[in-house]
Amino acid sequence: MLCRDFREIADSYLSDELLIETNHDVISHLESCADCRREMAARRELREKLRSAFVHAPELQVRAEFSDRLMAKLSEVALGQERTGVTSLSGRSSANRRRNLWLAIAACLLVAAGVSLIVVRQKAPSRPQVAATEQHQPETKPAGKDPLGANGLREVGPRLPVNIARLELAKFAVGDHRNCAIEFRLHEKPLPLEEAGRRFDPVYINLAKAVLSGRDGLPTEAELVEAHSCVFEGRRFGHLVFKSHGRIVSLLVTDLQGKETNAGAPPQSGASQDQITACSQLDGYQVSCFETAYHAVFVVSDLPQNENLAFARTVAPSVLAHLSRTEGI
Amino acid sequence: MRLMFALHKKEVDERWTAFEAEAVPLMNDLFRVAAWLVGDRATAEDLMQETFIQALQSFHRFESGTNCRAWLVTIMYHMNSKRLRTGAKLRLVSDTDERIAETVAFTAPTPQGLSETEVLRALKSLPRQYQEVVVLADVEDMAYREIADALAIPVGTVMSRLSRGRKLLRAELASYANTFGIGKQGEERLRSTSEKQGGKSDAVS
Repeated sequence: MLCRDFREIADSYLSDELLIETNHDVISHLESCADCRREMAARRELREKLRSAFVHAPELQVRAEFSDRLMAKLSEVALGQERTGVTSLSGRSSANRRRNLWLAIAACLLVAAGVSLIVVRQKAPSRPQVAATEQHQPETKPAGKDPLGANGLREVGPRLPVNIARLELAKFAVGDHRNCAIEFRLHEKPLPLEEAGRRFDPVYINLAKAVLSGRDGLPTEAELVEAHSCVFEGRRFGHLVFKSHGRIVSLLVTDLQGKETNAGAPPQSGASQDQITACSQLDGYQVSCFETAYHAVFVVSDLPQNENLAFARTVAPSVLAHLSRTEGI
Repeated sequence: MRLMFALHKKEVDERWTAFEAEAVPLMNDLFRVAAWLVGDRATAEDLMQETFIQALQSFHRFESGTNCRAWLVTIMYHMNSKRLRTGAKLRLVSDTDERIAETVAFTAPTPQGLSETEVLRALKSLPRQYQEVVVLADVEDMAYREIADALAIPVGTVMSRLSRGRKLLRAELASYANTFGIGKQGEERLRSTSEKQGGKSDAVS
């Protein structure tokens, strides 16, 4: 090895990026060349000085109060106490301030809408109570009119998500619909439903078949174009993609990861657990959802709200029957 | 019983514990990179916050046993690019590789005995694309492959930028050493200068 060659690769040698054979050549050369040994020592010293300069430079040191606040913030996020966005710790980002302002306005509107809803319901006591949070309470069935939908399902009009967790899960469903069905940019290759059923969740097996062969079949003009299992942000879905009125509609089934939570109480069955909730709009998509003891089902599309809800109502009986069978309820 | 939609508490606890063990100890290192990257403490703190929150939320994707520092740096560069796009601060930077290649046609001997301040000053004088690869490789000890992933550029580009960046840094330091009489070349130069001026060689020693 010539000195000129050595000087070209000396830094890669220090970074341990050379092949073993080349390392041996470098070492052999260093043993015989005092100039290159000096050059190597100088480069090593420069690198150490650079590291040391970085570690000691006052303008590159993290402030203790900042790291404390960041830890508190991270802890909050980890515990799920803050899911609505990121606020600025330094308080100097105008973009963050604007975002916070919009969040505050949105929160006020949500509270106002919630209060209005309560007032409206209190003024109309004869209407069946359908809020998801009240599903354990006995309900009276008004004479002459079935409070349940045409498919024996409860339905509610557009309203706010009953809790933040439901909203979080709906966001995953919308994200999967967008990433998988609309933009085709999944990070993981989708699996056939049968394989995903064997590996992850048996409810995926025969999911498509159950929907297609259900009593009510599919909504008019809807056709199944894809069936698989995919993952969005770490959450796995059984994903049926339909085309309806020229629009893409996703039916997404995911487990609730809450079996332990439900262990203390018997799983619910029958109509009392089967509700369809229009979760209003999320990221520009309509979301309708219904659930069993262990699974949540979302219908996501950019159809008008009533059509999205109608789609969910049509497929819900066969999906629920399939899930209940597989869950052993 | 009301159905649970949130991640199970146990899972959240485990993720947080792992994050605390792997990522939190790197906070100081990451802040140094952030501060160097954006050049402003307040912006660096915002970038740090966004990076760590994003990292926490994506921590299920981190493969235990791999380089967490490189993973965090990758997220940080991604968040910074996003920030720049949002703020419409993107500017076109002409690729000066060719010009630099001509400028650094020889390998300057590495000067010794320089202070940390001088080394940092010399680093700051390099074009931005050379600074970042030198910092990530020589300060943060990231592998070429990891740097390529973080900056979203080919490994070959990392290697050529590193080579040129290090040469430039040495040339800058050699120039500084010569000017201020640090190192062998500076001593010789100052000695000859002082001899010409009438033998005031005391200043050199």
